[in-house]
Amino acid sequence: MLEIKEVSYCYQQGKPVVDNVSLTVEPGEFVAIAGRNGSGKTTLTRLIMSLIKPANGQIMLNGVDTSRQSPGDIARHVGYVFQNPDSQIFRDTVASETAYGPEQLGFTAQEITASVAEALERTGLTALADAYPRNLSRGQKQRVAIASALAMKPDILILDEPTSGQDAAEKENLMRILTDLNGQGKTIILVTHDMDILARFTKRAVVMASGVKVFDGTVTELFGQNANVQKWGLREPAIMNVSRNLTKYGISPELTAAEFSRQIIGMLQGGRA
Amino acid sequence: MNKLAPLTKLIFTVAVSVWAMLLTSLLGLGLLAVAQILLLAAVGLLKRTYKGILSLTFFAALLVLIQYALGSNLEAAVAGGLRMIDMATVFVILLATTKMQSLTTALVSQCHVPQEYAFMFTTALRFIPDFLAESKAVREAQACRGYTGKGSIVRRFTAYLALVGPLVLRAVSRSETMALSLELRGFGAGRRSFSKDVGLRLRDYCTLAGMVAVTAGFTAGRMIYGW
Repeated sequence: MLEIKEVSYCYQQGKPVVDNVSLTVEPGEFVAIAGRNGSGKTTLTRLIMSLIKPANGQIMLNGVDTSRQSPGDIARHVGYVFQNPDSQIFRDTVASETAYGPEQLGFTAQEITASVAEALERTGLTALADAYPRNLSRGQKQRVAIASALAMKPDILILDEPTSGQDAAEKENLMRILTDLNGQGKTIILVTHDMDILARFTKRAVVMASGVKVFDGTVTELFGQNANVQKWGLREPAIMNVSRNLTKYGISPELTAAEFSRQIIGMLQGGRA
Repeated sequence: MNKLAPLTKLIFTVAVSVWAMLLTSLLGLGLLAVAQILLLAAVGLLKRTYKGILSLTFFAALLVLIQYALGSNLEAAVAGGLRMIDMATVFVILLATTKMQSLTTALVSQCHVPQEYAFMFTTALRFIPDFLAESKAVREAQACRGYTGKGSIVRRFTAYLALVGPLVLRAVSRSETMALSLELRGFGAGRRSFSKDVGLRLRDYCTLAGMVAVTAGFTAGRMIYGW
């Protein structure tokens, strides 16, 4: 379990980028952290990874205070996937790149082979195990980064804008992988700007604005507060906007295209009947 | 300082280096360093540059210690350190007060440096902060995968490959993209023009006259009074 207790952080004196934030993430949750650029969401995840230390407050990971732990110590429990996978890729094959983390954490040779094979399978990269990672597409490189984190056997996976710069099919594929991992018990924390992805795939949303946590609840509750959503620099999903415009025809606002289609089909079939 | 033409600031950089060579007394060299720091404070750039100045001072102190340890007398060693601070600080002033585009324009149109060389020089300077930012991003990414950089020298050296690899590959990729982008926008296609006006104005001529006077004064002072 991850507990963030009244944490603050400033890059410049007197200008907090994270201001007195408290947050608890239970095992198995799929949480999205949203907010406009500069709202403090990436800083919050960097604090979790001990890449920077809180000015105030405490971060507890499985009951242990992380203030004296290095990012390498945290990596045993939390896998972090950066926005740009090129920041980390340096080996000649996908498999050896994935093996870097387990090697650093002191896994045995057998454990490394097994964890790499499992991570590649979970991310759909088994067929690319011997490929040169730099030649892969952006989406495939992002999956290599996820596999690299998974191979270290973390309980929690944090992903910073993993779908940026990817086409629709790659985004869909990536989100399916994350949903499957969550279904297998992994806790997923997703930093995202993409409201369609947030609405479709995550269960809980945390919204940051000017370093402050302004919302923490279900996705349905979030988009029920239309005025605040815009004030926080977010945009409601396109399908929500369309369905909201059709409320006078008996359609209720929906977060996903599937639910919206179901309503329309139901209405059309009812009309015919 | 911000309003002076880039050529004036380039000449100022050379002038300060000449003054540092002319001066031999510790007091004179020290005052030259203090004057430059005061100049940075006066143009509101001290807060932005003080870390660089402190690093220079640390490096100069190291230089003094090495010189002293190798048998130089203390006064000569300290003078060497101060001279290094004087010459390096003026480059900090030049880079902090001049836009790279203006510097390239001045080098090409007024100093008649071939534009490929001028561009190479200014691009290399511009790459330093980008490179540092990339280096930080790579270090953080690998730290999250267990990189610590601890252990024996051999272990640290091999571990360092995890940082150097992505950094070099990204730098190569970035320079390739930049080269293509420049070619696609006509770099080296023939006679070029500049949108920046870097011509000298009255304040530049006054500053240049002041620099000539100070240089003459230091030369005379050294010859007559042995400064």
